[in-house]
Amino acid sequence: MISQFEADVDFQGRCAVVHLSGEIDSNAEDSLVDALGKAIERNPDRFLLDFRQVQYINSKGIALIVGLLARYPEIRGRIAAYGLTEHYQEIFKITRLMDYIFVLRDWEAALDFINH
Amino acid sequence: MTENEQVVRTFSLPSVAGNERLAAKKIEELLRPLGLSLRLLERIKTAVAETAMNAIEHGNRYHEDLPVTIETEITPGSLYIRIADYGGQKDTPMAEEPDIDAKLAGIQSPRGWGLFLIHRMADDVRFTTDKERHTVELTFFLVREGDSDFSI
Repeated sequence: MISQFEADVDFQGRCAVVHLSGEIDSNAEDSLVDALGKAIERNPDRFLLDFRQVQYINSKGIALIVGLLARYPEIRGRIAAYGLTEHYQEIFKITRLMDYIFVLRDWEAALDFINH
Repeated sequence: MTENEQVVRTFSLPSVAGNERLAAKKIEELLRPLGLSLRLLERIKTAVAETAMNAIEHGNRYHEDLPVTIETEITPGSLYIRIADYGGQKDTPMAEEPDIDAKLAGIQSPRGWGLFLIHRMADDVRFTTDKERHTVELTFFLVREGDSDFSI
């Protein structure tokens, strides 16, 4: 099974929204790094990762997200995730990714984050 | 299912990258009649996918002709899933507990979450080898739909 992944960025006010879709595993690296890099270049105040179209995240995908936080320390404390399923929210919690990425549980919270 | 009944099903998959997802999908199909909670099912699928991925990558080294064999044993109270590869010649490495703070500080590699997730998703994990085959047995205590809320 070949995994598919896409990442696109748009900007809403001072927030960069990175829309993710497909499977986040080791094959997602180039696209994710590219999208986040484009987002960072515009120097937004905040970053929102939109996981609503993500079907699967494996341990290599977790490593990828951790690697991005390591590579771009400037985004820590300014980045949130929206649209994670409850299972992946649990994984974000047990890996402690939740300590570095705010997990927004509903659209109202996401809007609040975007417009803060 | 009666008190002493057990159901055993076995299938194999070639050691091709990505087939761990197929393994998880087949397990989901096998378990559907049990009416497990969504939370438990997702934990099982993650544990199976991560274990199968290790079997494909580290045990069988992506040799397509070496299958990963997956056996499920369902008893009234427990589910056992045994995932075997041909990496029995080497011991299961003792994985360093991943520490996200250390990883972000550059002290640990960002990788190394697979075994951690397997241990956190399953109720018990055992490794055995017979010098040819390496087997990981995952145990899950079964809870029926409606027995627990999905809350973190």
